[in-house]
Amino acid sequence: MTQSILEVNGLAKSFGAFQVLQDVRFEISKGDIVGLLGPNGSGKSTLLNIISGFIAPDRGSVLLDGKSIASTPTFRIVKEGLARTFQLPSMPQKMSVLEVAMAADTRMHGVMSTLIKGPSMRKAERATHERAMHLLDELLLTKVSHLPASAISGGQKKLLGIVCALMARPRLLMLDEPTAGVHPNLRQDIVRALHRLNEQGMTLVIVEHDMHFIREACNRCIVLDQGHIVASCKPQELTANERVVQAYLGSTVAEAEVQMEVIEQ
Amino acid sequence: MYDFLIFTITIAGIYAIMALGLNVLAGYGGLLNFGHIAFAGIGVYATGIAHARGWPVLVGIPLGMIAAMILGWAMARLGRRLAADYWGIATLAVAEILRTVALNEDELTGGANGITGIPGLFESVASPWDQVYFSAVVLGIVAVTAFFSARLGDGRFGRALRLMREQPALAACMGYNLQKIKSHAIMCGGAITALAGSLYAHYFNFAGTEFMLAAETFVLWTMVMIGGMGRTAGVLLGVILVQAVYAFVPFLRDLLGFGSDVAGALRLGLIGAILLICLLWRREGLLPEKLRNPA
Repeated sequence: MTQSILEVNGLAKSFGAFQVLQDVRFEISKGDIVGLLGPNGSGKSTLLNIISGFIAPDRGSVLLDGKSIASTPTFRIVKEGLARTFQLPSMPQKMSVLEVAMAADTRMHGVMSTLIKGPSMRKAERATHERAMHLLDELLLTKVSHLPASAISGGQKKLLGIVCALMARPRLLMLDEPTAGVHPNLRQDIVRALHRLNEQGMTLVIVEHDMHFIREACNRCIVLDQGHIVASCKPQELTANERVVQAYLGSTVAEAEVQMEVIEQ
Repeated sequence: MYDFLIFTITIAGIYAIMALGLNVLAGYGGLLNFGHIAFAGIGVYATGIAHARGWPVLVGIPLGMIAAMILGWAMARLGRRLAADYWGIATLAVAEILRTVALNEDELTGGANGITGIPGLFESVASPWDQVYFSAVVLGIVAVTAFFSARLGDGRFGRALRLMREQPALAACMGYNLQKIKSHAIMCGGAITALAGSLYAHYFNFAGTEFMLAAETFVLWTMVMIGGMGRTAGVLLGVILVQAVYAFVPFLRDLLGFGSDVAGALRLGLIGAILLICLLWRREGLLPEKLRNPA
């Protein structure tokens, strides 16, 4: 039996009268690449925000390697080995791409160690610089490393978001729509990079709308609709699942937009 | 004439230390502290109280820095429950409360009379050399503070602080404890500013609430903003410009023959005008913060 790295049980969250998540439960096994899908407003981002500690659930538990992380501050969750990226990452204006990547290494960031800047700090800085350059290179950002991080394209910001998440060497990485708005050529590179990370032992959860991408990249998928888990299966089995088809094709764009508005309120 | 020049340099130096302190939390960290002068007030009174109790002269300096760090820690705690702009207003309130207490309390702070007779740093040296030495010490401290504040801003702590300023959610996702970073930034900037406060007390041989007026905080903000938030050279330039205006007004008064109250008002008016021009034309200051590219 494979060990589960993340265990979500009975998770519920509502914003006012709007129930975003209801009794959500699933497990993610170590080493899996899991696609998390669902129409707009189905609760994917809320789920991600709860797991990564940005918002507290009303009910339910989240276990990372058996350790409860629900309602734990984000920075602690990151230290436990869970990192995430954002759907629409915004990046600082006054920091270069390289500096943002280096900032993602949070070791030794105290006032005194920064002021003293002793040999161990210099060594750590060199190591961080080297690792940041290596990851920027892997995600094709070397050419823009000296630019202001806010000035690069939306797709590149997503890649930079992944670089930042990887700097923390997480065991579980959650990516919020990593390929939306990214050029097809680049998408192939991202898929390859993600597979490489997976081979090194990292578990991945990928929020995606694109079925094609899910089939290409994932070995399992979880489908969320109106705050419920409606399917948890292999990507190939998706189209055979009636509830999934209904969730995707049954709701019109107009309905989805109404749901989005409710969430934003 | 030379006396006036030495005086201006010394005061500019003391303000430069305070402004560099403000820059750590406001420039790097984007924290709107409108009560920053409270830290200087703590330094002023720490030195005054140390003198009044008959403790060695220099004990006031570390005492003030430690007290400022405690105040900074408390101010940061206040920020846990308040959004950034409300926190700014709260810091203004804290500074005013401390000023009012210092003004009305007799035992410790000497009430409205303040604490007099605080010795200078070079009592045994004959005038005017005591003033020259004092200004040299102040400039030395400015240089050291500038060096270390630039290092702080460029290094790991500054990187975390600047990322928090611009993208707090991203910083949290990287694993930074934002509350702790904020708290350390305020304590650090506060300690630097308290050091300047102690020097102020030694220079004027006096501790009183005149140093703690809210207007002084805004003079510091003006210096940092017209120079360039988040850039050490910018802050120093801002200090020099504002102090130049301050020094220039007395000459103008003699030249045009108006009274002292008009001169005081003119000073503030000129500073306001410079700030306004700066906000309209160079919002990021004369020397804006640069991209740092780690080699």
